[in-house]
Amino acid sequence: MHIRINSTGLAIVTMLLLGTISLIASIGYNSSILAFIGLGLVFWGEVLLYIRPEEYTKKVLLEAALSPSLTTLNEMIQEFAYKGDVTYLPPKYFTDPETTKIYISKHKDTSLPTPKQVQKYENQPVARTPRGMLLTPPGIQLSKLLEKSLGTTFIRTDLKNLQQNLPRLFIENLEIAENLEIRAEDDMTKSTTIHAKITKPFYADTFKEAEEPSQLTGSIGGPICSAIAIAITKATSKPVRITDTKSSEDGNTIEASYEIIEE
Amino acid sequence: MGFPLSFWDISLWLAITAIVLLITSELISPYYGKTNLLINKKRLRNVAIIVSTLFLITVAIRIATIIISP
Repeated sequence: MHIRINSTGLAIVTMLLLGTISLIASIGYNSSILAFIGLGLVFWGEVLLYIRPEEYTKKVLLEAALSPSLTTLNEMIQEFAYKGDVTYLPPKYFTDPETTKIYISKHKDTSLPTPKQVQKYENQPVARTPRGMLLTPPGIQLSKLLEKSLGTTFIRTDLKNLQQNLPRLFIENLEIAENLEIRAEDDMTKSTTIHAKITKPFYADTFKEAEEPSQLTGSIGGPICSAIAIAITKATSKPVRITDTKSSEDGNTIEASYEIIEE
Repeated sequence: MGFPLSFWDISLWLAITAIVLLITSELISPYYGKTNLLINKKRLRNVAIIVSTLFLITVAIRIATIIISP
């Protein structure tokens, strides 16, 4: 039988044990030095116990588990021969106010379906119609996690609020990336474009799988780009398209552009 | 036989611990490289704040004692 010894756990137990013995001895010998040692050991033992993350998984394991799902998604879209636009639909298109889905049109430059048309198929996991298909975005769970950390749903926020809060959620709360910059570019004649620059993202390796060349206009995005698209579509209550995504050569920086579609 | 540390000894110990924890929680980065000890930065900061507050309470008690005593 092979037992893996956790060195941190062993250190904590030793510190707590020695600290307690030292504290008891300090009372017996009336020694303030022993009391200080005991107090320090017990305190740091408890602090170490408290500051350890409750659950953690190695990054490589998560990325290895995620990659096949993204590859399957790309292969499935190619198999069904959908060549149109990829659009993130806001919750107003669905009966459930928390739902967001991707709509992929069969052909390029076709108009978006109406909420009534979408609602007919919304409960199907992969809803296919002659005009297009509905898919669950790869970043849906990540966006839910972001909402949980924020303490509210993105529907109750706006774009300005999102620009302020998303970097904090990404960097401090969930530590998904080392830095996140969100910049809105409002073109009065056309639509609003959001630029996101993600530095040292967690899912950097899966980005390549998500960005495999396809015949689609725009992109579904990897988990991070998809989660940002969901946040934008929920906050603005307008359909969103990922128009451009690019990664730096070393994979440390991902830049994504989102277009908010005016209906 | 009793606990050998007085209230003011504990206050001093809290002050030193609070300084160490506050500096550590501010300087520590989540990207600290490969190590076997994973640290929840937010929790470390909470501990630092709690210990600092406890020290400030002992200071407040000290000031109150000086004012009240004749």
